[in-house]
Amino acid sequence: MTAASSILATLPPSRPAAPTAPHGRPRRRRFTPARVGVYAFLCVAAAFFLLPLYVMLVTSFKTMDEIRSSSIFALPWRPTFDAWVQAWSSACTGLECRGVSVGFWNSVLIVVPSVVASIAVGAVNGYALSLWRPRYGNALFAILMIGVFVPAQVVLVPLVRMLAGVGLFGSLPALVVVHTIFGMPIMTLLFRNYYGSLPDELFKAARIDGGGFWRIFWSVMLPMSTPMLIVAAIMQVTGVWNDYLMGLIFGGSGMVPMTVQLNNIVNSTFGEKAYNVNMAATLLTSAVPLLVYLVSGRWFVRGIASGAVKG
Amino acid sequence: MSSHRPRPRIATAHAVAALVLVLAGWLTIAGTAAAQTAEVIHWWTSKGESAAVNELAAAYRKAGGTWVDTAIAGGDNARNLALTRMAGGKPPTVTQFNASLQFHEIIEEGLLNTIDAVAVPQGWDRLLPEPLRNFVKVGGHYWAVPVNIHNTNWFWYSKAVLAKAGVTAEPANMDEFFVALDKVKASGAIALSLGGQGWQELMLFNAVLHAAGGQDLYRRFYTSADGAVALTPEFKKVLADFKRLKNYVDRGSPNRDWNVASALIIADKAGFQVMGDFVKAEFEAARKVAGRDYGCFAGFGPKAPFVIDGDVFVFPKSPDPQVVRAQQLFAKVIMSKEAQVAFNRKKGSVPVRADVDMGEVDLCTALGLAGLRDPSRHVPSVEQMVAPEKNAAIGDAITEFWNTRQTVDRAARALAASLRM
Amino acid sequence: MPNAQPLPVAVRPAAPRARPPRRVNVWLHVALLPLALTALLAYLASTVWTVALSFTGSRMFPSSRFVGLAQYERLFASERWSIAIDNLLFFAVFSILLCTLVGFLLAVFIDQKIRAESLFRSIFLYPFALSMVVTGLVWQWVLNPEMGLQAAVRDWGWQSFTLDWIVSEDKVMYCVVLAGVWNGSGFMMALLLAGLRGVDEEVWKAARLDGIPVWRTYFSIVLPMLSGTVATALTLQLIGSIKVYDVVVAMTRGGPGLASEVPARFIMENIGSRSNLGQAAAASTVLLVTAVALLVPYHYLRKHQAAKSGHGA
Repeated sequence: MTAASSILATLPPSRPAAPTAPHGRPRRRRFTPARVGVYAFLCVAAAFFLLPLYVMLVTSFKTMDEIRSSSIFALPWRPTFDAWVQAWSSACTGLECRGVSVGFWNSVLIVVPSVVASIAVGAVNGYALSLWRPRYGNALFAILMIGVFVPAQVVLVPLVRMLAGVGLFGSLPALVVVHTIFGMPIMTLLFRNYYGSLPDELFKAARIDGGGFWRIFWSVMLPMSTPMLIVAAIMQVTGVWNDYLMGLIFGGSGMVPMTVQLNNIVNSTFGEKAYNVNMAATLLTSAVPLLVYLVSGRWFVRGIASGAVKG
Repeated sequence: MSSHRPRPRIATAHAVAALVLVLAGWLTIAGTAAAQTAEVIHWWTSKGESAAVNELAAAYRKAGGTWVDTAIAGGDNARNLALTRMAGGKPPTVTQFNASLQFHEIIEEGLLNTIDAVAVPQGWDRLLPEPLRNFVKVGGHYWAVPVNIHNTNWFWYSKAVLAKAGVTAEPANMDEFFVALDKVKASGAIALSLGGQGWQELMLFNAVLHAAGGQDLYRRFYTSADGAVALTPEFKKVLADFKRLKNYVDRGSPNRDWNVASALIIADKAGFQVMGDFVKAEFEAARKVAGRDYGCFAGFGPKAPFVIDGDVFVFPKSPDPQVVRAQQLFAKVIMSKEAQVAFNRKKGSVPVRADVDMGEVDLCTALGLAGLRDPSRHVPSVEQMVAPEKNAAIGDAITEFWNTRQTVDRAARALAASLRM
Repeated sequence: MPNAQPLPVAVRPAAPRARPPRRVNVWLHVALLPLALTALLAYLASTVWTVALSFTGSRMFPSSRFVGLAQYERLFASERWSIAIDNLLFFAVFSILLCTLVGFLLAVFIDQKIRAESLFRSIFLYPFALSMVVTGLVWQWVLNPEMGLQAAVRDWGWQSFTLDWIVSEDKVMYCVVLAGVWNGSGFMMALLLAGLRGVDEEVWKAARLDGIPVWRTYFSIVLPMLSGTVATALTLQLIGSIKVYDVVVAMTRGGPGLASEVPARFIMENIGSRSNLGQAAAASTVLLVTAVALLVPYHYLRKHQAAKSGHGA
């Protein structure tokens, strides 16, 4: 057995592998005022959080006449899927009137490599910066952390020139590079903190075992990174899927993401605002990140509990 | 020598020749098709606009071209994309642009191809109305092809609301307009339907400037470099009239979209709206008929200023002869009578050349065409006279004046300062 | 030396983390190439270019016409910019404060062994999946006095109900903060919940034994234990707040009038429709300097704290 794994085996469980049971008062299922208060608060909060979603759903099932004549909270008299069908396949987004479906697969094609690339680079950066500590590491990291405060559009023109200069413009690889660039500060921050919070002995032992840079990363650090990878993946999928600007500028005419279609439908300068179609289109475009959160919400919390996002 | 031996060789030769011919033909066709491929950036994304731009695409295809569409909602978004791509070295073949001074800066930077090769033989000098010609022809060369003309000085009203309020005739000047507004307000409806966004407030202001000050004051104001005109009593009266209109606007106006304001007219809840001609598409979508359900007039009186504002297409610079060919074909198609008629019918705007026959048109389009054909009414749009920054500063001052309790004098001084920029 | 046995690992005092031996490690440097390229080219060079541009008279396109501090003079005299800065301060302070407070409350309540915990957690977390554009759009519909909440409540009979903040110059920023809090509280809740779950049962028992009321336990004992997580979360929130743009554009377009203008929107307008790259560059530089002015002391503060607690983080 390597020194690293033997150390792993002897480490006391300093951190719960999974979130422990909720804290608070011991199990008391009676309807005490405190208990009622807790549920009341949570329900009121839930109503606040659900309000916009309810409005969006309800409006998307109405006809325009109904919308014009009733309040936004009223349930539809005669619910219809028309708006959804239109939003998906026949709303006008320019010359074409094929709805947001056109952009769906483009968005998928954009998100998968971009998320993989930005997480990979972020993880390697975090690993190198926090464990190997090259002399220039802090300086580079500081540049990233300061640069992240500059709005993207400001640096767009020099970035476009630089990327076009190496032939990376108007294509999927260009977009993947751009998402990696703009995701790097936060990804590096998260992974750097994560790896920094792992016990020192692990890394030291692995080096004693004679592991090189990549070996240690691949066989020791990466397997321990699952919680952080999950958190990073959830955040990046959301961020890249919801991106509009980069996809528009760097993607080229054949690689337009769903968010651009959505903008074309919802924000047409001069035209009738079909609110039901707009809301249906908005929900369709947000469906993927929503699904990701709904399905993996618990992993998100667990991932953070396991040490991701430590200061 | 047996007789059959040469046959395979001839057959092979024939086959090869045929293949070469087919290949050459295919390459030529492909080459020709590629030569006419145009990637077009524009911001026509709503249903009505899509129908209109489809007419252009159809005409282009009929002429042998291929239209690759890159539509982006929001004029600013589309322009930013086009500029960024030009800076990045991957420009589109053609991009939509406003008739504004922004476009002069692009010319100065040397980012555009001229379109003289089409403009001169077709005689655009004769075909285009003067403000438009002065605009697209810079330094003796033609740099853009205009697609349509928008007048922004339109008044729209609900016949039902006005009838109920006892307004029997269209107002012919500002005083009559105030009288009409009073009547509508007294009858319980919203007198003036306005969307409280900067550009709409500015449009309303310009309409008042035209009505109360006429062409002369309008031009003097926007071409002023020292701001003195803003401090004249004549101009201050315009400001006072403008602010007076606020009494007729309802409380829900701020940040209301223009088409929600139009919806109030359509639903017979409001009397008047001052807005560009794109409102017509809203009325048509709601199946309202001009002259029966709603009325329109292009400014007060038959000699009201008719603003020549419009969309143009520009041609990013490229040395590639194929791209240049596509650009020229594009310009030819856009200027052709058929495309002008087909596009503008669907769009609700007015063609750029006065020599077309629009066929049967409704009341409002007819008024628009009348305006187009009367050169004495033509005035340039604000964007053609004023640089974007100064325009934005004027807009800021106007919206501040409209939304706060600022006095006429303070506002006049603020406008004078913006003019001096 | 007597007693030369090394202490067992778990008991050894935390030594400051030593640097790995200085072998020439090619792979390390190769692996950091993307970071180096990005930091130096995409961020540093672009930032330097932006700062340089702020001293020129660039309009629609970059120009090299030097104008000294003229752009900054214009900027600081601009009413729009001062409103934007005020709004940014308001938004940053209140949205971060409220997100943290609401997130904390939600986390505490969810932590109380309730039924349907997953359901509640999903409800509070889902807004974070929506883009800020969608957030702004949806709240604009809800807060619209004619079409949204005010109209609905009036329909239900309460005629004098007014909720027209979004069209009021003084109160529109409350609406923007509201949308921001709706979007971001769930994330804070997730962070704090995870942190709370990591707090040992022993701590609770000890606090109860000492007679400390529950709420005091939360504030004086538990919250400080989460400080690392909270710090990172606050950093992320600060980054988002300073660049706030999408939600304002979608919700109010900077209106009514200039009342909800924010710096990022000011910058975008100057790049785009106002064609004034010089102003945009000056504004960006000011934002940047502000961010640096905040981050640098914060960084040293954390380092100082970390050194004090003997931590090698």
